[in-house]
Amino acid sequence: MYSDLESDYVNPVEMCNKLNPFVIPEAILHGFLTVLFLLSGQWVAFAINAPLLVWNLRKVITEQYTFDATEIFRSLPDHKKEAFARLGFYLLCFFFYLYRMILALITE
Amino acid sequence: MASPAQQLPPGWNAEWDATNQRYLFIDTATGHTQWEPPAGNPEAPPQSQGSPPPTHHGKRRQYAAGQTQAYYGSDGMAATPPQYPAAGATMQAPQQPAQLFTPGLAAEGQFQQQQAVAGGQGGYYGENPEYINAPQQQTYPQHSPAQMGALADQFGQMNMGQKGPRLFTTNLLAAPPEPFELHQPPPPILLPPGACLSPSPFANADPSYQRSTLNAIPTTNALLGKSKIPLGLVLTPYRSLKEGDEPVPLVTDTVIARCRRCRTYINPYVQFIDGGNRWRCCMCSLSNEVPQLFDWDQVRNQPGDRWARPELNHAVVEFVAPTEYMVRPPQPAVYIFLIDVSHNAVQTGMVATATRTILENLDRIPDESGRTKVALIAFDTSLYFFSMPPGGSESSMLVVSDIDDVFLPKPTDLLVNLSEGRQALESLLGRLSDMFQDNHTIGSALGPALQAGFQLMSPIGGKIVALTSTLPSVGPGALKNREDPKILGTAKESGLLQAASPFYKTFAIECSRAQVSVDMFLFSSSYQDVATLACLPHYTAGQTYFYPAFNASRTEDAIKFAHEFGEVLAQPIMLEAVMRVRASKSLRMSSFHGNFFVRSTDLLAMPAVPQDLSYAIEVQIEDTITAPFVVFQTAVLHTTCYGERRIRVVTTALPTSSNLSEIFASADQVAIATLLANKAVERSITHKLEDSRDALFNKMVEILGAYKASMTAAGAGASAQLAISENLKMLPVLVLGLLKNVGIRQSAQIPPDLRAYAQALLTSLPSQVLMPYIYPTFYSLHNMAPECGTVGEQGVIMPSPLPPTSEKLERHGLFLIEDGQTIFLWVGRDAVPQLIIDVFNLPSYETTLPVLDNVFSQRVNAVIQKTREMRRGPYYPHLYVVKEDGEPALRLWALSCLIQDRADVLPSYQQFISQLKDKVNGSSY
Repeated sequence: MYSDLESDYVNPVEMCNKLNPFVIPEAILHGFLTVLFLLSGQWVAFAINAPLLVWNLRKVITEQYTFDATEIFRSLPDHKKEAFARLGFYLLCFFFYLYRMILALITE
Repeated sequence: MASPAQQLPPGWNAEWDATNQRYLFIDTATGHTQWEPPAGNPEAPPQSQGSPPPTHHGKRRQYAAGQTQAYYGSDGMAATPPQYPAAGATMQAPQQPAQLFTPGLAAEGQFQQQQAVAGGQGGYYGENPEYINAPQQQTYPQHSPAQMGALADQFGQMNMGQKGPRLFTTNLLAAPPEPFELHQPPPPILLPPGACLSPSPFANADPSYQRSTLNAIPTTNALLGKSKIPLGLVLTPYRSLKEGDEPVPLVTDTVIARCRRCRTYINPYVQFIDGGNRWRCCMCSLSNEVPQLFDWDQVRNQPGDRWARPELNHAVVEFVAPTEYMVRPPQPAVYIFLIDVSHNAVQTGMVATATRTILENLDRIPDESGRTKVALIAFDTSLYFFSMPPGGSESSMLVVSDIDDVFLPKPTDLLVNLSEGRQALESLLGRLSDMFQDNHTIGSALGPALQAGFQLMSPIGGKIVALTSTLPSVGPGALKNREDPKILGTAKESGLLQAASPFYKTFAIECSRAQVSVDMFLFSSSYQDVATLACLPHYTAGQTYFYPAFNASRTEDAIKFAHEFGEVLAQPIMLEAVMRVRASKSLRMSSFHGNFFVRSTDLLAMPAVPQDLSYAIEVQIEDTITAPFVVFQTAVLHTTCYGERRIRVVTTALPTSSNLSEIFASADQVAIATLLANKAVERSITHKLEDSRDALFNKMVEILGAYKASMTAAGAGASAQLAISENLKMLPVLVLGLLKNVGIRQSAQIPPDLRAYAQALLTSLPSQVLMPYIYPTFYSLHNMAPECGTVGEQGVIMPSPLPPTSEKLERHGLFLIEDGQTIFLWVGRDAVPQLIIDVFNLPSYETTLPVLDNVFSQRVNAVIQKTREMRRGPYYPHLYVVKEDGEPALRLWALSCLIQDRADVLPSYQQFISQLKDKVNGSSY
């Protein structure tokens, strides 16, 4: 998406309109998962997820969670970095959950 | 280059030589050939490339020059020994060209002069001995232009590299800033010979259109980093034309030659190859075909002269665009006035003044083809539409009180053609303020009114002019009063400068897509959240005007507003504009500052471009530049308000340099200050005000440090001097002025509205207006020279400016301080009674300045008049008479303009310089 914007395949207004509806659901989903971990006593999983939860909460509270079409070119590098970090984090989580699941299945 | 063949003496012939890109002159009688035009024709340009400046000559020449000086005697300037950039470590006594400069010269005149210098015409130097590099120029007093050309040509053939401008080092501690130096032209652009096709002095853009912070571009990013000077462009593509300015030449035949790859427009810096059938792009070196009709004169239907085409001779040209450049037929200009008629607005007289101004300026609204459309919407907590059937003389009012879901009460007649609905409009404007005379509604539905205006004009696009005197309180876009005196001066203050509600940003984007631009006129006496409201003009390429605590019963307020509003209405605007800046390979536009919406990485969308708005663009060097010169080209595709699609192209060519001393010597302090102002404002919004001040200060320290480390003998060690090149001498005081500007100043007293407005000005004023805004001009009137205030060759002669410091204030004197927005007439405590009677006609004077029947009063008035008129832009500075023992608030305000003084925690110039020096010496350069 961001590279599309950089190479002018998509205009900033459309991009922001496309991305903004997904920001809150993503945060809610992640929050829900984290709370589940907390309730089920999965301390390690919770500890991994907690920083991102805090980060998301902070963004929502300071009302900076939406992409702003007027500022997007100024903050593009930051957005890019954040998106990559998120992707990496979710990937890591996915393998961790998989590992735990297999572990749980084996111990049964 | 316009047909040199016609200017030749008999017996000579000119032939185009494609390999050398110039004309070869042949004497048909003897068969002798030469490059330079034959003598006996003093009018002929010396040679096609413009003679390189005298700095060309190698060391050998310089010695010779020294000898010549000895022979010709030294007249003042020539006493300075020649210096070599390589030996830049030498300190030089500051020059004192004071007696040679005529400060009264209007800035326009300056720019013209400088154009001529940039054009590099040999003969010019003889006439202008006061130019800063004078010592060398005087070494050739007897040479005719042709000889100069011959010399230059020789050097060209000897393949001597272009020597850059010379570096003069000056010591900031010993040399206080002289205000007139701000009016000096930026360092000349010394292009390598052969770069330009045209000998025209207009082949490089006038700095008032486009200027670069460096007039020699470093070849690598590392070198740029070493100099610490920010690289950027400052542009005002739609500059107003004052009397005596050259109009922008227009290419009417719709033959637009552009590069196939990089889409550059043809300009004086391309190269014709292949016998003139192809041209090589100056940015990407692709060879393109010359369009067939390029050499065809379509008006007379006969072969035309290519060299007479304006786009090959002028750096600023306008093309009439063919249909490929249109998405739709050219739109008419549309103006919609949103007038606040709530209790507050009516009581302060804003409504009456505004309607009267519109009425008076109906004739000045650009409407040559009779297509301009106008609508008027009044609002308090409801919206009042006015339906004006064409041809009728009466209007009917339609009230919409549903403000949450705005709709238009009538599909037609709300937006009327100016010429058809003229009568109805006039009667409506005459009655409007009486109609709402007894309106006691408090509150404002600005958001819904904007939405209504948007709905009305969205099929066409145009300009919304919103006049409001209260904080928007109902409907979408309602704002809360978030002013809190406790957080002023703290880190949280920058929050107040950010937009409070996302409505104005998202609405701005909608407007930008529908080609709607918004101008805001704000009048509130209490908090109005200028920061949020200014977002709308900011992203729709409009402008914000703020009249704090406006009250029409004070004539100064009324006149100022009426004048500025009238100018805004009367100025021609560009509609539906998009701007793109292209540059040579390996240069990239990295960030943009100004009023527009960035639609893609380098495309700036501007629904309507008012005149005299400035934009700053930061430039990055991505690779090593190998070309001897680079080209920046700004293209603005727009529709004129007369319904014609046009492209305005502004081209600047700059030499490249790998020599740090040349880069320092070619830095343009005014452009740097403009760029820094833009960056500082942006930083104060995204970070903290304090950060932005620190960043400014550190930048200054870095530049000084870099200069000291690389250009002076002191190197890394401590030094008793603070060295900077002569052409950057004013930069520290400009930075100090910025630090003390209302927009950035450290203070807990400045209301956020004033700050936000000052910031809007800092980012949008063109350099010519911005300079006095951060560095006010200060004149002493009681002892001005007798010719000042009288009409001379250049118009009214101005007194010479003094450095803005209260040291210069005398108790018995009369002084003028002006920053382009306000003028203060300072009357000393012990002013001579006769002086006061001469100027004010009364022993106890009033707050206004009468025009009296004595010479001195007329001269003072002439000076003030000239001050108001000499700059571009709609601003009409109001005159305040300040008595030294009078009202303290006004006195403090006037004194705050004397930026070289110490005020509160803010350092004086001397303190600032010594702070800089400590930092520079202390840091580990």
